[in-house]
Amino acid sequence: MTLHIVSKSPFSCQALHDCLQSLVEGDALLLIEDGVYALQHQALQSLQETRIYCLTADSEARGLQTSSAPDSVEIIDDTRWVQLCTEHNPIVSWFR
Amino acid sequence: MPRYAGHFTICTPMKFSLAIYSAPHASQSAASALRFAKALLAGGHEIYRIFFYCDGVQNSNMIAAPPQDEADLISEWQALQQKHNLDLVVCIAAAQRRGVLSQREAHRLEKPVANLAEGFDLAGLGQLTDAVANSERLITFGG
Repeated sequence: MTLHIVSKSPFSCQALHDCLQSLVEGDALLLIEDGVYALQHQALQSLQETRIYCLTADSEARGLQTSSAPDSVEIIDDTRWVQLCTEHNPIVSWFR
Repeated sequence: MPRYAGHFTICTPMKFSLAIYSAPHASQSAASALRFAKALLAGGHEIYRIFFYCDGVQNSNMIAAPPQDEADLISEWQALQQKHNLDLVVCIAAAQRRGVLSQREAHRLEKPVANLAEGFDLAGLGQLTDAVANSERLITFGG
């Protein structure tokens, strides 16, 4: 199972879009840095079956209300980020 | 297999390598890499190597002088390297192109300045391949 890490905003970059093209069942999606802006993007609504994680430090730094995020999104800290990386292989970063 | 064992997950230590493609001043990604490296070490995991490639070589430029109210990632990498004896490897070809030179390279290329920060080593891309082969996970930080 792949962990996809998206670090760019879907409002300014293709990264999330490209990632979703290659995402398959069982994969997980982690939003970091400007990638957390995806919480406000409709693209996440279509991902009912995918586990989605969002790094709390980065969403807080941007003043995003995680309470209004879709229920499927789990807000995580750095320790859990490390743990996700042990649970998944490979780990693919999307930043273009 | 359940993702959680009760409230905590039992986590066996793993061997990680990181690849960093971005300069400290250009985006958040080098800072994220540093934070992730600290979290890895705090979690008892091993960092086999951190490889600085493309603009990431700027993380080892010791004459970069960021403003005082901004993070000084170069010093932070050095401190982490000293504390945990990390293998910080900088791509030699990417570094030469961007003006990051060791004493030896500065001498060889007849340049007046050597600015590779202490704690970093210049080496070829083979060291990234080696890191992939010898680590259980490779995480890339770019953009």
